[in-house]
Amino acid sequence: MPSPEALLTRELGPDRVLTSPDALLAWECDGFTVHRSRPRAVVLPETTAEVQRIVTLLHGERVPFVPRGAGTCLSGGPTAGPDAVVIDLARMRKVLQVSLVDLFAVVQPGVVNLDLTSAVAAHGLHYAPDPSSQSVCTIGGNLAENAGGPHCFKYGMTREHVLGALVVLPDGSLARLGGPAGARAPHELDLIGLFCGSEGTFGIATEITVRLCRDQQSIRTLLAAFASMRDACRAVSDIVAAGLVPAALEILDQATIRAVEASVYRAGYPADAAAVLLVELDGAADVLAEEAEEVRAIFAGHGALRVEQAQDASERKRLWKGRKGAFGAMGRLNTDLYVLDGVVPRTRLEQALDGIAAIGARHGVLLTNVFHAGDGNLHPNISFDGRDPEQTARTIQAGREILQLCVDLGGSVSGEHGIGSEKIDHIAMMYSPTDLEVMARVRAVFNPDGLCNPGKVLPNRSACAEVAKWPQMTARVLDAEAGRP
Amino acid sequence: MSLAPANVDELGELLRTRPGRLRLCGGGSRQQRLPPRGDALELCCRRLDRIERIDAPDQTCTVEVGVPRAALDEALHRLGLELPCPGGGTLGGLFAADDVGAASWGGPSPRTLLLGLDGLLADGTAFRSGARVVKSVAGFDVHKLLVGSAGRLFVAARLHLRLKPRPRAEAWFRRDDLDGPAAAALFTTLCQQAIPPAAMQLRRTPRGVELRGRLAGRASTVRAAQQAFALREAAADWLDHVAAPTAGECLAGGARPSQAADLLALLPPGSDFVMHGGGRFELDTDGPATSDQLLHRLHALGATACIVHGAPARRGLGTPTDPGAARLAQGLARALDPHGLLV
Repeated sequence: MPSPEALLTRELGPDRVLTSPDALLAWECDGFTVHRSRPRAVVLPETTAEVQRIVTLLHGERVPFVPRGAGTCLSGGPTAGPDAVVIDLARMRKVLQVSLVDLFAVVQPGVVNLDLTSAVAAHGLHYAPDPSSQSVCTIGGNLAENAGGPHCFKYGMTREHVLGALVVLPDGSLARLGGPAGARAPHELDLIGLFCGSEGTFGIATEITVRLCRDQQSIRTLLAAFASMRDACRAVSDIVAAGLVPAALEILDQATIRAVEASVYRAGYPADAAAVLLVELDGAADVLAEEAEEVRAIFAGHGALRVEQAQDASERKRLWKGRKGAFGAMGRLNTDLYVLDGVVPRTRLEQALDGIAAIGARHGVLLTNVFHAGDGNLHPNISFDGRDPEQTARTIQAGREILQLCVDLGGSVSGEHGIGSEKIDHIAMMYSPTDLEVMARVRAVFNPDGLCNPGKVLPNRSACAEVAKWPQMTARVLDAEAGRP
Repeated sequence: MSLAPANVDELGELLRTRPGRLRLCGGGSRQQRLPPRGDALELCCRRLDRIERIDAPDQTCTVEVGVPRAALDEALHRLGLELPCPGGGTLGGLFAADDVGAASWGGPSPRTLLLGLDGLLADGTAFRSGARVVKSVAGFDVHKLLVGSAGRLFVAARLHLRLKPRPRAEAWFRRDDLDGPAAAALFTTLCQQAIPPAAMQLRRTPRGVELRGRLAGRASTVRAAQQAFALREAAADWLDHVAAPTAGECLAGGARPSQAADLLALLPPGSDFVMHGGGRFELDTDGPATSDQLLHRLHALGATACIVHGAPARRGLGTPTDPGAARLAQGLARALDPHGLLV
């Protein structure tokens, strides 16, 4: 009997089926580097028909498989167990259709987020969701994770921009969910809304229809430096309370500012500030002049140390450079970076940040904060040395306590990174076993055999054990906390 | 017979103990648009009418499903907030039916405003999905299945909703001086704007074709749009549905904005028609033969539609659905309500 690898090679040819350990190294983790596991093979399809044949074959052979985009996910979502085959969609990078009349595009899943905007920019259009990794992350990955980004405060997350998708289901059959018009008939279920954010466990989207947004007439980007994080957070609350809806409201704390300023992402942020707040307004030019004045008045009311307003596109790019490069800059602080992702009600930001600082101090970990303040979406980052098991354990424990804090404050364990394998033990902080059982029933409709991205999102000890060491490591921390041997 | 629990606990108890099949309803306004309920008892959620919290600074709220839309609007108005989607009746009905969709192309819709819910399966098992915060990607979004489900998968008890600040200025507009193709072209053009109208609809009545809508934002933005497109100010006027015909049928569906002109061209003489800015449309016909012919043409156009008013056996018939999607929808119904108790 030929092996699944041999059958896949027969389908795709040897160049598009990778099996050697060295070749597989690049697929052993995503941005969540704590969880590493090398898959048994990687396949590189280029068409829907190829994806369908691969999935049908693997389903028939009972081999688990994991769809993957650029691998920029931060929760271990596309990390495959040693028994699984990675279906890498990076070669499916065609923009299949653009409608300049109805403002949508149909793309393959490997199209890079920013490349889509570049493809339609000449027509005064853009694709709104803008994760920090937008220059490399793919639309397929964005769909799987329901990705966010700084501008989703105003424009919404990926789900609000996905109209439909052609999906290869885990048994190899096809389903067309939604459509270019968002033209779901009355009493039809919102299947594409459900599929978006399912973290690659419901199937593989091979053609994705997304909404394009008309560029706004004008953009104003302001940066304010504050003497305390409290002032920055209160300025955010006042901006929102005033009924303003900025395109983005981003805060960086002092440790992040200093990391950025010491890196190639240097943006001229004041290194003595306790926090900087980046506010972007977009809309009609005359309106923006009024709104910028209102924002400046709010800054002044909270004792801003310095306010800067971009005068042109290059200055705007500079102000954003520090924010967009913040995670890269933190790479300087230690060998590994654990990027957390929790949400609290916006009005609890100050309380959450105080609590996070206390947790960091208690565990002796180096914590920095950069976050989407408008949404209350925190990204506490812990820089650590992953080669040191004790340091890693403290990092994991601090992360767990931070997410528990978010839940205790009425929030969520994830705002945009997803659960993946990282938070598989944390999701129960938010949901009861019954809630999770209902979710499992829904997943089983799409993925009844559990072959599509197993061991992700929902706790399932047997599946976890197959995936890799990360959940086991988490379990050890939890056991230690509970006093179990 | 109608069952009307007074609170969420009673609702759970009723589901756990009652025999037989149930048809959910809120204010009852949508009953005429659903397939026949057969022997099912009516489970009326109208008494679940508490606005449990409005968190104005965080722009979220939690409501029981029987809260009338008008009551929430009134409470939000006092706080300078709004639920930025059209639709009336009870909030549970508004989300479960989702029969208007977005009021403008790309604008907020029930799908985007539902952050989470507390629900009950048909056997009374309570569950939660989603969150109360404006952003969460934790777990699978079972709550999104409420939208458009017509209450046939599970019983929603409480909804967690996203709110928006009320715009500082607004103005309703009306254009009734254009012929069909010109009105449809203007409809498409307005959908393409960087700041489209907050709500818009294209109507055809026996009096002719007209375009109506609501501009919202800053006063200068509203003025600029009025001037650029000659949008004459008019009284607030929004129509969720065409009037249910006393004889004949009513079709509802979805299409792209640029298909507005094609839809107008397909309409039988004398047919009432409304198309919302988000692409949802409704029209009436004089009976099954015309409806069936139209459904064929709509399918050929790439639009979707189904019969929402007419003889009970005809309700729900429509353009073909994708077989894969249909299989998933059936699977979800079996998974969440295995005994088919919610009809």
